[in-house]
Amino acid sequence: MKTNSTSTFFVISAVAGSFLLSGCGTPAGYVDPNSSRLVTTVGQINIQDFSSAADAMVASLIDNLINPGQLKSGSPGEPALMAISRITNDTGQQFDTDLLVKKIRVNLLRTGKVQITTTVGLNAAEDPLAAKLQVETGTKTRLPDYTLSGKIIQVRANAGSLSQSSFVFQLSLTSHGGIAVWEEEKTITKQGSKSSVGF
Amino acid sequence: MLLFTAGCATSMNSVENAQATGHRKMVSDKRVITDAGLYDRVSVVGINTATGPAGFLKIQVEVLNTTSSLRKFTYRVEWFDADGMLINLPTTTATPRALEGGEAGMITATAPTDKAKDFKIKFLESLN
Repeated sequence: MKTNSTSTFFVISAVAGSFLLSGCGTPAGYVDPNSSRLVTTVGQINIQDFSSAADAMVASLIDNLINPGQLKSGSPGEPALMAISRITNDTGQQFDTDLLVKKIRVNLLRTGKVQITTTVGLNAAEDPLAAKLQVETGTKTRLPDYTLSGKIIQVRANAGSLSQSSFVFQLSLTSHGGIAVWEEEKTITKQGSKSSVGF
Repeated sequence: MLLFTAGCATSMNSVENAQATGHRKMVSDKRVITDAGLYDRVSVVGINTATGPAGFLKIQVEVLNTTSSLRKFTYRVEWFDADGMLINLPTTTATPRALEGGEAGMITATAPTDKAKDFKIKFLESLN
């Protein structure tokens, strides 16, 4: 009897404990992607890092090229035309570089001073249907005035229990004469203890 | 123990041209403070603006860490057109920033379009 009541006590305690533990977890919910409450990991580029880097790049383009009136268009009266060239991911993380590039494109389009071609690309047209329609309607393809290329590099460092990752975003805007008319580098550095490293 | 903890606080000295040649165009600002603690620790000294030849507005906010130790915060800039409508962008995000004790820093931001005529900057104390 005594053994039975002891076993019963342990079973009831275990069940009660599991209910308590499950009640302490964080329920899933939506988070504003622009907020400061997003998860930050040391070993990976997070979504807010792409936004921050893209914002810095576009601000630099506006400050150094657009605002001073130095962005030239091959078609007078029309915005300058830009094509996307090679953007290399040189980090230890697999991701689509469009996470950076698309944000830059959207912001540049909003300036009203730059348009992006979707039928002239490094390997193939981004929009094959638009490219096909151009051919079928005999529309002359306007060659881009500029091409955007770049690289994302990761530099890691460890000191004791502290882990650090720096993500260096490098971009260049090249004219069709082969001259880099704008270049920028943005570094995002994150530190954390080894237990917070997101590998 | 007191000696160890006293060594952890950092503050910054600075030196600059006594006869500055750059003249800032300061703007009057309206402040809505709900976090008095943050405002006491990281205060806004002033805001100046400039408009480039292509009509893009640029702002510069001077902030000062009034404490003697490192303070972290985030800020977000919102832009509004001539009708007061928010200009939405995919890169509007909270930007982290840190200031050493006594350090005055500049936050700069460039309008995403020449249609941006007004702005608002939001500050939040860093959670980590």
